[in-house]
Amino acid sequence: MATHIGIGFSQEVNTALAATKAASQAQEQIQQDNIDLVIILSTIHYSPLEALLSVRKILNPLRLVGSSAAGIILAELISLRGIAVLAISSDEINFGICAATSLDTQDPREAGNSLARNAIADLDQPRRQAFIFFIDGLIKNNSPILKSIQEVFGNIFPIVGAGSTDDFHFRKTFQYYQDRYLVNSAVGLILDSATIRVGLGNKHGWKPLGKPRFITHVEGNIIRTIDHKKASGLYEEYFGEEAQSLRSAPMSRLAILYPLGIRLADEHEYLLRNPVSVLHDGSVVCQGEVPEQAQVHLMIGNKDACRQAAMNAAKEVKEGLGGKTPKLIFIFEDLGRQKLMGRGAFAEVTLIKQILGYDVPLIGMYCHGTISPFRTSQSIHRTHLQNENIVVMAIG
Amino acid sequence: MHPILKLLDNINLINVMGVVGAFLFMTVGILITLLIRKTDEVNQQKELLNKMTRSFNDLDEQAKLIVKTDLELNKAQEELDKRLSGLNSLQKTSRLISTTLDEEEIFHRLDQPLMSELGFEKNLILMYDADKKLHCRIESGFSKEEIIYILSQLEKERALATALREGHSFSSVSSPKVRKEKIMQLFDVEHFILTPILTQEGMIGIVFVGNRSSASSVTEGDEELFSILANQIGQSLENAQLFEQVYRSRQELESKIQERTKQLAFALEEVKKISKTKTEFISAVSHELRTPLTSIKGYASLLLSGKMGAIPPEVKDRLAKINKHSDNLVKMINDLLDISRIESGRAEMHLLPTQAEAMIENVRDLLTPQLKEKNIQFVSSVAPDTPPVFVDRSQFERVFINLVGNATKFTPENGRITVSASPEKNHVLFSITDTGIGINENDLGKLFNEFYRVENEINQQLKGTGLGLSLAKNIVEAHQGKIWAASQLGKGTTFYFTIPRQPPGKDTTTVIPTQKPDAGI
Repeated sequence: MATHIGIGFSQEVNTALAATKAASQAQEQIQQDNIDLVIILSTIHYSPLEALLSVRKILNPLRLVGSSAAGIILAELISLRGIAVLAISSDEINFGICAATSLDTQDPREAGNSLARNAIADLDQPRRQAFIFFIDGLIKNNSPILKSIQEVFGNIFPIVGAGSTDDFHFRKTFQYYQDRYLVNSAVGLILDSATIRVGLGNKHGWKPLGKPRFITHVEGNIIRTIDHKKASGLYEEYFGEEAQSLRSAPMSRLAILYPLGIRLADEHEYLLRNPVSVLHDGSVVCQGEVPEQAQVHLMIGNKDACRQAAMNAAKEVKEGLGGKTPKLIFIFEDLGRQKLMGRGAFAEVTLIKQILGYDVPLIGMYCHGTISPFRTSQSIHRTHLQNENIVVMAIG
Repeated sequence: MHPILKLLDNINLINVMGVVGAFLFMTVGILITLLIRKTDEVNQQKELLNKMTRSFNDLDEQAKLIVKTDLELNKAQEELDKRLSGLNSLQKTSRLISTTLDEEEIFHRLDQPLMSELGFEKNLILMYDADKKLHCRIESGFSKEEIIYILSQLEKERALATALREGHSFSSVSSPKVRKEKIMQLFDVEHFILTPILTQEGMIGIVFVGNRSSASSVTEGDEELFSILANQIGQSLENAQLFEQVYRSRQELESKIQERTKQLAFALEEVKKISKTKTEFISAVSHELRTPLTSIKGYASLLLSGKMGAIPPEVKDRLAKINKHSDNLVKMINDLLDISRIESGRAEMHLLPTQAEAMIENVRDLLTPQLKEKNIQFVSSVAPDTPPVFVDRSQFERVFINLVGNATKFTPENGRITVSASPEKNHVLFSITDTGIGINENDLGKLFNEFYRVENEINQQLKGTGLGLSLAKNIVEAHQGKIWAASQLGKGTTFYFTIPRQPPGKDTTTVIPTQKPDAGI
């Protein structure tokens, strides 16, 4: 029973050349004729169709999924430009893949349900270890889709995901699925194995600041009032004139660095929400749903806290693996963290490698929102869409 | 009812009421006390709550200060990060483009992710061609149609071109509103930097970078950075062009040299062929001449000896002249044959260790009659540490005889001839110095040519073949030596020649074939 893994990466300017180089590198490492799964992660500088065709031509995998990313995370570097290709050939892991398109017009409940069911249907076995999915990060509210996926898989099943991004340009993200590239869609990957174990860690490191407030009126992902005042007033109180930037541009610096932290009744962590935009009436639009009457804080983070969070997430992964040696590490990291960490972003990867092993193949992406449960080491809890988080997942 | 009973009832009622009243009074009292206590507690709680609210508010005020400071710090950090990344990328780009002198390679290297590493999603490098038309050399983030449109619009924007030509950069942070909006519209960006690529010859192109995302604004620092980058590109391109010019000139020169070398090699081959033919001709003719000359000389000697009968004195005198001229002719033919043999490599040199002093003394003995005739002082000056030289004695003696003979010829009476020998690093240096009439500088280079005779009074009076020095040169060179002359008119001439200290192969009896690489010249 063996799992072979190859990871390739290229920063070439030309899409076909970059994809070909990345796929060739992956092929060189994996040294297998039959590729069971390929995951493509590419930044928005590349033509997705050209990238897809070039990768398929070289690796010709049985299953292929992927996503656009704001940056690629690898064991050796972090790059805000490039194409990364992960190739897996395994006789101990089964893969099932799925896609749901036209998410903006489809009933989210229906979309989530079919995504999860199609993934299961694509598996030979009824067993399943984890579900990973990439969803268009520009969809205004991903929470209903997530809820319906969870309805299928259950609350104690690890669901991990990342919001496909176009690096905060808010124009178009894309997802790779077999021989197509999709927009306004979600693609998923389910893992099944009798032998492998999945370790999962999810942390952000942001801390609450100032006095607590309460969300007094919310409609799904739109916070209307906080303490019976317009929601944007919270930012205006703290930042004065500077808060205008929340209205003038989506995902301004304020939104990224100082998210809202929502205290969840059944969790110890704060659920972070970046204000994506502010409406005329002062309502704050978030990427995911927000519970009514929840306690809310303005949150503050720093580089040290981020590094500590990455380390803690890796420690949770290690615990989750129950002594198994990791074979592959995935990192899904919210782009906001990269904006905060700047040139020091790679320090997080170094700490993760320090805990999980320097020689373990590692691939990841900067995304627009992560999807993961809290408190993953002791028990799997409800999965949330979150901002500013780092999700570390390892297959052992 | 009985009045007394009525009274008693009343009394009871009063008592009961009193008791109840007292109870009620007490209860109310207790309640009031409790109420007062509770009110105090509530007031205390309220006070506590107010205190907490005040604390929370104070905390919030502090948080506002913290968050504002943090925001400033983050901005500064972001700017610093951006600067550092920019400088890092600039340094990388500069190093990459300054380490090549190939224009195409410069653009190839610029067309790397470096441009996007600088943090912009849209990049353009436009260059002017020889017809002063803008062409796109590097692009990212633009479609072909967009580039065509931008190029056509830039051609129309004379004012912008003029400002750029004067070295002005434009950016979304520093440009006037109208100009800024035009550029933003033209390039479809929200933040941009547009800077000229300048060289000593003026503007040769334009660098444009921009972002559509409002999250990625530019700063004045970015503008400075890109001005530096544009300058670096200009310098690198200028260097590449200069190098190209130098390279082309060198190529042309090399090609000319190669052409000339070919011509010279061809001429050399021709000369070699001619020289070989000449040598063969001289050799053949000399042989052909020597046979009848031997007969002539033989018959003249026979007649002179009187064995064929007495001869009148006039005839005897003529016969003596025939004999003498025949001798001269034989000498000339022998010299020619020797030269020819040495040049063709047919002569063999039998090298033996020879003391310079002995050889010079031998020459002195041979030439004493001529020296005495003109009362010329012969000085031999051999350095004590002069080692024996490996020479073919008979041939080498001819060198001395020719050179000392020449010196005797051109040195006036009572003059001096000094023959010296001294060891040098790799050879022994010989010189023959006279106090003669000297040789014109123009003639020095031709002295060793065959049949060359310097034009002077002495040569006009005395007959000579013009082969002596040529023969001496051939013999010296056959010994791997060199010969040359230095002279001052009216003061005298010195002939120098060298002989290597060690013979080839250090074999004292080595036979050197005399074929020289340029034997035919």
